[in-house]
Order: sequence, then structure tokens, then C-alpha cells
Amino acid sequence: MGNIFPRWTNLLAIKILVCLGALGTCAVALAWYSWTPKYTRVGYMPQQPIPFDHSLHAGRLGMDCRYCHTHVENSPHSNIPAAQVCWNCHGPGKVDSDAVALEPLRQAMDENYENYTGKPIEWVQLHKVPDYAHFSHQAHVNRGVSCVECHGRVDEMPVVYHAKPLSMSWCLDCHRSPEKVLRPLDQITNLDWKAEDLDSDAFYAYVAGKTQASAEDLKKADEGKAWNRELIGAHLRQAWGVQPPQDCAACHH
Amino acid sequence: MRWFFLILAIASITVALALGPRGEKFSSPPFMLFPDMDNQYKVKAQKPSQFFENGQGARKPVEGTIPFGHDLPGENLVGSRLDYSRGSDYYNTGLFGDYYGKGFPEELQWDEAFLARGKERYRITCTPCHGESGNGAGIVSKYWAIPPTANLLDPRVKDLPEGQLFWTITHGKGLMGPYNGILSVNDRWAVVAYLRGLQAASGN
Repeated sequence: MGNIFPRWTNLLAIKILVCLGALGTCAVALAWYSWTPKYTRVGYMPQQPIPFDHSLHAGRLGMDCRYCHTHVENSPHSNIPAAQVCWNCHGPGKVDSDAVALEPLRQAMDENYENYTGKPIEWVQLHKVPDYAHFSHQAHVNRGVSCVECHGRVDEMPVVYHAKPLSMSWCLDCHRSPEKVLRPLDQITNLDWKAEDLDSDAFYAYVAGKTQASAEDLKKADEGKAWNRELIGAHLRQAWGVQPPQDCAACHH
Repeated sequence: MRWFFLILAIASITVALALGPRGEKFSSPPFMLFPDMDNQYKVKAQKPSQFFENGQGARKPVEGTIPFGHDLPGENLVGSRLDYSRGSDYYNTGLFGDYYGKGFPEELQWDEAFLARGKERYRITCTPCHGESGNGAGIVSKYWAIPPTANLLDPRVKDLPEGQLFWTITHGKGLMGPYNGILSVNDRWAVVAYLRGLQAASGN
């Protein structure tokens, strides 16, 4: 009796499995690499109605973030400034008030301008958490988390782009070890702050004032340890009793 | 089999090249695989809303009403950071009737935090034009030839009553815009207090 199936069919099942396996591996690799916020959100750089240059205002001019984002310390929402705030410096007779780029501002603010509409400037939002996650700026900036931890070096960005993924696992990284990002409260808007900038004597005195320990003891215990963000953060964490919530309802409520 | 892997390799490389690496700049709205409830039909702060005629989600209070938590007439949220009051007393206006008042209102809490707050707010809000020391040589004057900002250490400003300084911060003066939406009432008084400190320290 002859063979019903030719010889090459012997390996067919294995070959199909290998091909499917390769296809599946590629699909997983694709999803792993490009279907996370690290790919889909980081680098988002929308065009704004006015090409506002943060590297000029917050960088070269050294303006504090809170000159414009005034309510970041008092509100869950960090506000985009009203056109009035731009108008403080770019109104008639002031800085670059005739610039072509400021056309939308004149439309919003200058009542004597022919194209005056009085409507707010429609800035494009780039940083956004899903509507079922509740993020509070107030809770973070008042507890030693700087703007730079989530928004990157905005003071070096001519056009602002999405610098960090803002994914849930990324949030949890900090919530599990906040000492990596904590810094003294007066340096929150100093995006270039480094551990070396901190006066260690004043810092130990501050921590000692918040905890029961004495400054000398704290200093002695730290001898030989590297003076870095994590060490400072660990002290601040203890001094303020920072315990970031990790339960679901902390953000999804 | 050989053909399959060749096609798979070509397809993978094509997709990889088309997608590019992480962190590349792009301007179209981010791609969302499962946008389930990411964008809900609710009004969030500073968001537009097609529901209302003017397209703004934020609503003004109905005329003749006061939102919960805001000041009632004759009742101040003294010391609150949410205090952008519209009251008519000295604390809220810097005026006694039609005249600028002298001295600080008695509602203020004089402690270290108040003065530290004044210093912080001064540095954030006033420094770009008036300079860190108050001499009117802020960073703006180094780059742009706009009419000079007031030297706050000048004896002329030193002699102004506190109420007028408060009123000027609130409503602006000359080229200076109003700062009543940026600084709360208490913060404005704190800035005035810090400014008095700067003037005393300058010795003019």
C-alpha cells in the first residue's frame, strides 16, 4: 500500500508551529515596544496657537513656574495662565507686543484690535492622565516632588513636549520609593536642582527640627554615605512622614 | 518556510522603520489602543464644552449668587490662599472710602510664615521686572527697552501708604497689569510687607 501523504508532510505541523511562534514573538515584541506610553506619549509635541518658548521664559529669563501656573500649589489642576497673565508683559507698548506670533493674544485681549474676539486662547493639552485617574498637583508639589520629575526639563524646551510616560507603572515606581524624587520645598520649581546645591548643615538642622533626632546624630549616622538625592530624599521622607498610597482607590476614586 | 521568514523579516523591518524609536517628536494626538474611559463626557478644569454656547466648560456664578466657599459680603477668608475677595473693606481694597489707607489691616497674621510667603511671592511675581532687590532692574530691563519699571526702593515709593501699594498690585499702574488674579489678597499684603522690609534694608 502506497503512502497517502507525501514525505514532506512529516514536518508540516512542526513548521506551522515554528512559523506561528515566530509571528507571535514579533507581535509581542511590537506591542511591548510600541503600545506603551513610553512610545505612544513620550515625544508628543503638539503645535500651540502661540509658539510659547519655555526655554526663554523659564530658562533664560529665570521666571518661576508659578508666575504663570499660579494655582499649582492650591489645586489638583495646574492652571494654564489666563491671557491676562501674558498681557502683563506683552500688552501694548511692552515686550514684543507687535509680534506676529502674538496674534491670538491680541485677539483675546486687545479691545482696540480689529480682530478682537475676547475668546480665550485654545492651548493644546499634552500631559493628560486618563479621566478615571485622579492626579493632584497640590499634593505633590507641597510634598517635595518637583515639576521636573513628571514634566522633564521644561526650562530647556523651546517647544514643550511630553518627556515622561505618565503610565501607571511609572507612577507606582515613585510611590514605592519616593525618596528618589523628594527635595526641599523651596526648590520645587528649580528644575536644575542637584544634591550638591544643598547646604548640608542647614538641611540636617531642618530634619532634626522635624524629627526627634539631633542634627549631630543624623550627621554621624550618615558618615561615609554618598551625598545624593536618595539620601536627602530618605531624610525628607522620614521628616515629613511621606507614605505615598499604593492602593487602587488612591488614584482611581 | 524560507519564504515565510524572509517575508516576516522584511515586514518586521518595515514596521520598525515606520514606527521609529521611542521618544521621537510628533505632533498628532497620541495613539490610544483602548481609549475606553480615558476621555469621559465630563467637564474638567479649563476644558472646553460644546454643551454651552460660548464653548467654555467653566461657568460664571449665576448673577446674584455666591459660590460655596467664597466670601460672603462682610466676611473675609483671611489668610486663605483661595482668597481673591471682592469685599469693600480696607483688607480687600487698600482703601478707606476714597483714600488710600496707611498701615496694614488688622486682619493679617504676623508670623514668620507670612513674611516668608511675601518673600516667595515677591520673587515669583515681582522679580522679573522690579528686580530681586526691588531696584527696578529686573531681567526684563536687560533685554527689552520698555519704559523703566519703578524703583521700589525710591523714597517716593517708600512714602506711599501701604494701601496704595496694595491697590497698585491689585489694579496695576501705567504699564503694569493687575495682579489680582495671580496673588490672593493675603499674598498681596504679604508682598507689601516684604517690600517694606526691602526698603528698610536698602537704607534709602
